[in-house]
Amino acid sequence: MSAMADRIFSDFLPVLLAGMVVNFQIAALALVLGLALGLLLAAARHYGGAAGAFATSLIALMRAAPTFVVMFFLLNAIPRDATLLGVPLAVGGILAVVLSLVPYSAAYAADAGVEALQQMRGGSTLGALLFLPNMTRAFFVLVMSSSAGAAIGVSEGIAVILRHAGQLPALSDRLVLFAFGVLCFGIPLQLGFALIRFAQRRLGRRLTGTRS
Amino acid sequence: MAPLRFAWALAAALFLLVPSAGAQQERSPDSALASLLQEVKAACAQPPADRLGRILCGGHIRIGVRDFYPLFAKHEGETRSGYEIDVARAIAARLGVEIDFVRVRAANRIPLLAENRIDLTIATMGHNTQRDSQARFIRPHYYQSETALIAPRGLAFAGWQDVAARTICVTIGNGSNAEIVDYGARLMLFEEAAQLPERLKDETCPMAAQDDSFFAAYFTDPAFAAAFSQKIGFAQVPWGMAVARTGSDQLARALDLLSQIFHRDGVFLEIAGKNRIATSFLEKQRVVWQGPVCNVDTGAAKPTCILPPRDAELKPTGFAAGVAAFEVWSRRTLGIEIDLPMLKTAPAWSLLQNGVINTLILIAGALAATLGFAVLTGLAMAAPSFVLRWPARALTVTLQSSPIVLTLVIAAALAHAILPYSPAVALGASIVALGLSNGSNAGQAISEAMASLRAEQGDRPGLFAAALRRSAGQIVAFLVNAAKGTPIASFIGAPELLSALTDITSFASGRVTTYCLLLVFYTALIMGVVWLCNRLRLVLERRGIGA
Repeated sequence: MSAMADRIFSDFLPVLLAGMVVNFQIAALALVLGLALGLLLAAARHYGGAAGAFATSLIALMRAAPTFVVMFFLLNAIPRDATLLGVPLAVGGILAVVLSLVPYSAAYAADAGVEALQQMRGGSTLGALLFLPNMTRAFFVLVMSSSAGAAIGVSEGIAVILRHAGQLPALSDRLVLFAFGVLCFGIPLQLGFALIRFAQRRLGRRLTGTRS
Repeated sequence: MAPLRFAWALAAALFLLVPSAGAQQERSPDSALASLLQEVKAACAQPPADRLGRILCGGHIRIGVRDFYPLFAKHEGETRSGYEIDVARAIAARLGVEIDFVRVRAANRIPLLAENRIDLTIATMGHNTQRDSQARFIRPHYYQSETALIAPRGLAFAGWQDVAARTICVTIGNGSNAEIVDYGARLMLFEEAAQLPERLKDETCPMAAQDDSFFAAYFTDPAFAAAFSQKIGFAQVPWGMAVARTGSDQLARALDLLSQIFHRDGVFLEIAGKNRIATSFLEKQRVVWQGPVCNVDTGAAKPTCILPPRDAELKPTGFAAGVAAFEVWSRRTLGIEIDLPMLKTAPAWSLLQNGVINTLILIAGALAATLGFAVLTGLAMAAPSFVLRWPARALTVTLQSSPIVLTLVIAAALAHAILPYSPAVALGASIVALGLSNGSNAGQAISEAMASLRAEQGDRPGLFAAALRRSAGQIVAFLVNAAKGTPIASFIGAPELLSALTDITSFASGRVTTYCLLLVFYTALIMGVVWLCNRLRLVLERRGIGA
């Protein structure tokens, strides 16, 4: 067991942390792109009309598109030599994961954005500011979802865990490694959720204070 | 009279013996080749009817070869080297002509023959039944390769049973992929074979399958050979030189005889040894062609002497012709290129049907499991006893902290520890993992609704039903999430539609159409689930209002 612990801390942990950085990078990129698209869609939906109807349909479609299938679609359906106005369209592993997460993040940002716009119209700036913890929650969901990259060879956290697990013949050793992986992903996630709860409490208190 | 009789008898005996000796000479491939070449050379004054005539009379043969296929054909500066290059040189030397090498690729090595831009192709070409109609293959074959499964040396591997649910990196369009699929492996597709050794080294690929002739060059690198080994070889394919199907009968005949002689005399074997490629096939062939049955001028036509081409024909479906006609109509009328390989061959159609059925089972199972685990964890987390409450909370936090891919892998590892791998076990493990992951979150929402109701109304009968109604929105969200997550089950070998279509595109064409249809199918399916879940939510909420 001590050999296992040595192996985890000396060899595995640095590689896992490097892999988890990739998860956070993917999530950050997907969130930025999703925010840009989602806020546009939220504005269109909020102001109604034909653009609003189109935005509503698009959001519904994006909400229904499974990330994993979108990722394989992007990777396989776009020919390697495809270009648009001279710009190559073919996507690599990391970009495929980022783009596959954009429909989710955009739909989420659009929903949260509409809610925030309604709060602002209602005169509640602090209510509208709930948009920020909501997007933080979306970011952590994206971090967890970016592990889908393991299926297409992206060297992110889960891929690192699975590579090391593949070298362990005993199931008990593999389960220890998996548990350690869950812990490593769980700590930032639970800290993130704690941060969201803290922010929500602070906002709630200020909101109550403003009203009273 | 006696001397006269003796003279007649001697003449008769000579008359009988000479043709007999001639027949024996004709049965030797060497003499048959010599006669053929002599006959063609004698007719040089007339315009040649066959390409052999043009080669012998013109003194040049155009041979299509690869430019970069290490150990087999390599072109560096002005120098060409490799097994196939040396075979080409041996042929030209035996015919007494000069070689004009022409660079060919996998895609054009047969068309260039038909267009009369090369006379012969020696270009790492596997002989299969499909190609038989496109070129005339020279028999006996000059080499044989097989698909090699390469993995780290340290990986324990007992046989095919060890590939089930494991990732194997392959190149798209490789005919042997269909065989790997049959053993339940999960394929990771790559466009170029050259990507595979790199992906093995950086551990992206736990295993890779590709032609052993491709890996032969890599195994000459001591570092690569120390790290990796061939675990299994399968899908043997004989390699054939080929000439055009028309106007090359005499050329083909001459090359058949030459090939026989080269095997018998160990010429191929010697060239292979010089180029450090595997020689086991050539050693066996030498024994075959040295035998009296095959070492005759008709040997190349005897089924007992030659190897059959690899059967690459996939059985068509009953409606394949209609599908092909639709593809043509779409291209001509709509200008849209549609390729539907999943409908044209029986194995692909079977994979598609099973994929759709398994996807529907998986979605139904994941929805039921999510609902079931939601109710159970909701009850446990809202229970007054901490014996139930704390384990349920710990489980929820753990599942929330585990990315779904990892949860699936853990579920699969536990399932395979109890039961041997099968598609049903993979489906079951996926359903449990998706249900637990989403159900625990929905359960948390139910328990929070219970807590809020208790705070508002105190403990009363029907509180749990009211909590279900209050948390209906969250339950629906996690049900939809479970349905959306089902394609990830392909990661642990569940044979759902994504997995089935990936398998189909690994050995057939039409990737673009296939993945477009896949996206449409899943999106439509999830929209259906969303609609159904929203109906369920409305029903729950209406009952709530009524209550």
